[in-house]
Amino acid sequence: MTKFNTQSKFFSTVIWLILVMLTIVTYTLGEKGLSGKYVMLGLLVITMIKGQLIANYFMALRKTKLIWRAIMFGYFIIVGGLIGLAYLMGLK
Amino acid sequence: MIKVNHTVQQEDLPGDFAIWMFIFAEMLAFGVLFVAYAFARANNVELFNASQLTLNRASGAINTLVLITSSFCVVQGVTAIKAGSNRQCAHWLTGAFLLGGVFVAIKIAEFHAKFAADITMSTNNFYMFYLSLTFFHFMHVLMGMVILAVIIIKARRGIYSAQNYVGVETGASFWHMVDFLWIILFPLIYIIR
Repeated sequence: MTKFNTQSKFFSTVIWLILVMLTIVTYTLGEKGLSGKYVMLGLLVITMIKGQLIANYFMALRKTKLIWRAIMFGYFIIVGGLIGLAYLMGLK
Repeated sequence: MIKVNHTVQQEDLPGDFAIWMFIFAEMLAFGVLFVAYAFARANNVELFNASQLTLNRASGAINTLVLITSSFCVVQGVTAIKAGSNRQCAHWLTGAFLLGGVFVAIKIAEFHAKFAADITMSTNNFYMFYLSLTFFHFMHVLMGMVILAVIIIKARRGIYSAQNYVGVETGASFWHMVDFLWIILFPLIYIIR
């Protein structure tokens, strides 16, 4: 195993750990039955961070042209934004 | 000079460029369904919240961890083949494949529990979205497992190398997309209320 591969494995392990921790946070919030505007927005932000980590580090888009990263980021902004809007509409 | 630039452009995205057109198309299809779910919920919040409580959040969370870990294995598989090790690549991808099997087993158990409780797509709008979205995703997991299996067989035969790994990256990109979509699907359907 080269030095590059060892560093790469360490880095992807750190990303994996962050993803695991964020999943546990998401699940805990669900188990506590928390709801409301801020919880919903918090969960959407966590989801966006997880998605960006997967896109940039697992899918290896971080070294590609800006357009591909912009598409992935824009996807979250548009889909996440519309989901957030719909949830706000559902709040009484 | 033009030829060199063209090569650089093709190497921009990992794997075959065609898989990325497929990935973006799939993301769009799922994205429309995610947004449709959210707006359908806005019209019937009580029903969606009550139905959501019947879902097994633990199995959804475990499946999230399973897919994240399988994606991690795929990343290691790609790193291994870039270092020229077909053997290591096959080992890591086999790990990812087996985790895909765990996801499928948990999902089948979840579907079985719902069908045993007489819950179908026609029960209500929430279950229509829950069953159709998760089943649609489930089919992608199965497809991803088939792709991984083909790459594992080819890696075991020593077909890939440090210079020839586009096939591995192509399959890896598809598998990460499966993970990526579940990352959104899980909180949307199981958690956010």
